[in-house]
Amino acid sequence: MAGTGTAHLHTADEALLRLENLVVEFPVGRTGLKVNAVSGISLDVIPGETLGLVGESGCGKSTTGRAIMQLPRPTSGSIIFDGNELTKMSGDSMRKVRTNIQMIFQDPISSLNPRRKVRDIVMEPLMIWEVGTKAERAAKVDATLEEVGIDPKRAAESQPHQFSGGQCQRISIARALVLDPKMIICDEPVSALDVSVQAQVLNLLEDLKAKRNLTLIFIAHDLAVVKNISDRVAVMYLGKVCEVAKSDDLYARPTHPYTDLLLKSIPVPDPTVKVLATKILGEIPSPVLPPSGCRFRTRCPFATDICAKEEPQLRDIGGEHFIACHHPIEHLA
Amino acid sequence: MTLITDTTSMTPTPLDVPPAAEPLPKRSRSKIHVGFWIALAWVAALLLMAIFADQLSFIRLPTAAVKNHGRSTAGYKLGPGWNAWFGVDSTGRDVFSKVIYGARTTLKVGLWSTVIGLLVGTFMGLIAGYFKGTYDRVISIVVDIMLAVPPLVLAIIIVYRVGDLQQDRPGNPGILKWFTRTEQITVVLSLLAIAPLARIVRALTMSLAQRDFVLAARSVGAKNFRIITREILPNLIPAMMSVAFTGLALLISAEAALAFLGFSVETGTPTWGKMINASYRDMDKAWWATLFPSLVLFLTVLAFNVIGDRIARHYDIREAAL
Amino acid sequence: MRYAAQKTAQFLIVFVIVTFGVLVAMRLGVNDPARRMLGGTATQANIDAVTAKYHLNSDYFTQYFYWVKNMLTLDLGRSEIFSTDVRTLLRQKVPTTLLLTIYAVVLALLIALPVAVLSAYRRDGLFDKSAGFFSFAFVSIPGVVLGILLLLVFSIHFHWFPANSNKIYPWDNPLQSAKNFFLPTLTLALPISAIFTRLLRGDMIMTLQSDFITLARAKGVSPQRVLWRHALRSSVFSLLTSVGLQLSGLLGGAVLVESLFGLNGLGQMLLESLLRGDLLVIQTATAILVVGVVFTNLAIDLLYAVVDPRIRLARALG
Repeated sequence: MAGTGTAHLHTADEALLRLENLVVEFPVGRTGLKVNAVSGISLDVIPGETLGLVGESGCGKSTTGRAIMQLPRPTSGSIIFDGNELTKMSGDSMRKVRTNIQMIFQDPISSLNPRRKVRDIVMEPLMIWEVGTKAERAAKVDATLEEVGIDPKRAAESQPHQFSGGQCQRISIARALVLDPKMIICDEPVSALDVSVQAQVLNLLEDLKAKRNLTLIFIAHDLAVVKNISDRVAVMYLGKVCEVAKSDDLYARPTHPYTDLLLKSIPVPDPTVKVLATKILGEIPSPVLPPSGCRFRTRCPFATDICAKEEPQLRDIGGEHFIACHHPIEHLA
Repeated sequence: MTLITDTTSMTPTPLDVPPAAEPLPKRSRSKIHVGFWIALAWVAALLLMAIFADQLSFIRLPTAAVKNHGRSTAGYKLGPGWNAWFGVDSTGRDVFSKVIYGARTTLKVGLWSTVIGLLVGTFMGLIAGYFKGTYDRVISIVVDIMLAVPPLVLAIIIVYRVGDLQQDRPGNPGILKWFTRTEQITVVLSLLAIAPLARIVRALTMSLAQRDFVLAARSVGAKNFRIITREILPNLIPAMMSVAFTGLALLISAEAALAFLGFSVETGTPTWGKMINASYRDMDKAWWATLFPSLVLFLTVLAFNVIGDRIARHYDIREAAL
Repeated sequence: MRYAAQKTAQFLIVFVIVTFGVLVAMRLGVNDPARRMLGGTATQANIDAVTAKYHLNSDYFTQYFYWVKNMLTLDLGRSEIFSTDVRTLLRQKVPTTLLLTIYAVVLALLIALPVAVLSAYRRDGLFDKSAGFFSFAFVSIPGVVLGILLLLVFSIHFHWFPANSNKIYPWDNPLQSAKNFFLPTLTLALPISAIFTRLLRGDMIMTLQSDFITLARAKGVSPQRVLWRHALRSSVFSLLTSVGLQLSGLLGGAVLVESLFGLNGLGQMLLESLLRGDLLVIQTATAILVVGVVFTNLAIDLLYAVVDPRIRLARALG
């Protein structure tokens, strides 16, 4: 699988965010080796859309999210947000642009400073940018807190550890919203939460998205979670994109063998359904020394010689469905 | 990291209705130990006696010669008793009052050197742990260098050379004369504290800087200075409080060791280490002149260690992080 | 090997900077170092000879170069103040400090091992609790106080050990040597044994909870055997690191202990040269102490790399 190729991208003026050939590498200690976290992916998000980004842990999906924020700056490639090339921006103007893109993190506890009052945490972005008067800031923070379902009075006197995981995630959302961003990158926002709470946080995100006309990037390792919230889904494997399609389409006809296997591994709450014997072979290879050609070939049931030699390009298979595979799964029309 | 289970959100509530206020869950913290209060009481008593020694009638001046039935007690001629609680020393001075006046110097020197060491060490550790890269490499080498010389050796060499340079010899710099012995000892002791503290703060900062709330602060546009002062520093405080007391205990020990080896504050100002040095060779004749200052030194160091340890446990700071 | 080369380079840098610093610190503001080194009664010819030998008229870098050269060729010069060769002086003093330090580490381990194993075996039991209490006390007690208390009890009250431990080598009179070294060794060993005990106990409790120990116990290996054979083996590395970390404090403590018990070693030599103002001997003694600390730590680091490739990799990654 190779996410190399830009066939799936919309035209530049259609997209709010456009990544082209994004590469992120980290040095491994002082060994001279490097981790190929993201190896030339291209993606775009059109305004008002929710793009799901799925893959196993270590596939580079979170790194992609952070690279968009330029935290840290990517190794190469271009990131255009709202007409601005972020990778070439100076630190100070980047700081300004960043307020239009906000993030929500996986660990609700770790993402809130344990030694500050919750209301101050949500107030912080307004303080940094000195938005409005003191009273205006207070009013805005309280309104935002209420919008996500947190009592402002309690927030003013409590620290994060006095809230539950789901509430902490709501606080994180409030902090992200308070600067009125255009786009929010949700980095596995519900995977650390109880299943019963997951749905509530997801609903909140959907409501807020509709109300505030937000654009979302939703990163998750769990296809089931992504399914409902996303308009389009991009599947990542070891730093590459292997399949991009409309959410319904992807679930109806997973064409890349990896996507297929991911979908089959979703447990179905029905005891009569047999667990499929197909398993992904072995462990995910090291991103320090990724396989040649198609990166999925070492675990792919259909791999042949060509997969080791040639990196497949993303190509259109109709209906805004793109895959990068030499041996796609055929679906009956 | 254990997650707090979401109790309020278990029952589906319409999102526009804020969850009902519930009693704040109490943070489970270990109970404060009796040892902590005893240690605190000991330190407080010592501190009060040292501060108000001149006003308290039961404390003689350390320079006053103790008379026993009108006769001089020089040469340890009076053991512990009602007249002099801890006995007298070779010059016939009251060991108890010397211990109290010694506490004055010892605590003053210990506290100031801890404060200086804490400020410099925290600053170095924060810079190294937060900015990493070249800053980290340079600071780490400085720390390695400071740790390579045995602390006591480093201290005695500096004190010796400064004393040497203060003498009136041609070519000796005049500025060093401004520093009193007490100030020198304080600075030297703080030097001993800097490297270990910098190392601790660096490790803590590195782990804090990886937490998502730092990333979140950066993504809302916070600059480095704001992140360091608002996000990282407040989270260092519990650990630093514990380390400060443990460090104070170590520096008081080091001060005593230096004084015992003959590198101490101005002559005429008593310290515990000096008292031990002056009398330990006569322990077979007069155990009290050595034992009492030693015990008070031990108990004080122990007390500060207990306080540091209890703070660490209270905030659940694992030793591994230190 | 890259790792070994890197580590060695790092330690060499530290060593060079420290010894250069000591040289500068010793000679800074000294107008006529040769006269200081030779004492008041030196003749001009003598002074000129020493100045030429140590290049005392050149800049500090040149002086350092020749100092290192002299050290490497073991030409350590002659101390007029001690009126002997520095090499002879070292040959008398270094073994004492070396013995003292080695004894202390060995004794500390001999105390720590059984205490830690017993503590971990019956965690939170009576033995564990009292061991914890004593560990805390011994970590806290200042070296001076511990030495004084041991002297007072064992030498002045019971007369079991001499108060003044004139050094006697074990190869001359084993019994007397052991008696003379016992109290100084104990003074150094007790605090570090407490540190070792805490470390080992924590390590063992962790190991005891791990899967392979459960497996070993399930196989029917006796708990004692599990502790001694399996748990202990995996704690060796953290123990080694701790020895390396303690060494600097241990050598500093040796100065104190030698002074307290009148043991004639490197520390005594350092103090005496300070009292007499012998810059040459101070510098040499400090350099030897630093060499000891720096190179023991280097040796421990390299030992890791040789013995355990996982640690080598982890360190390279970290």
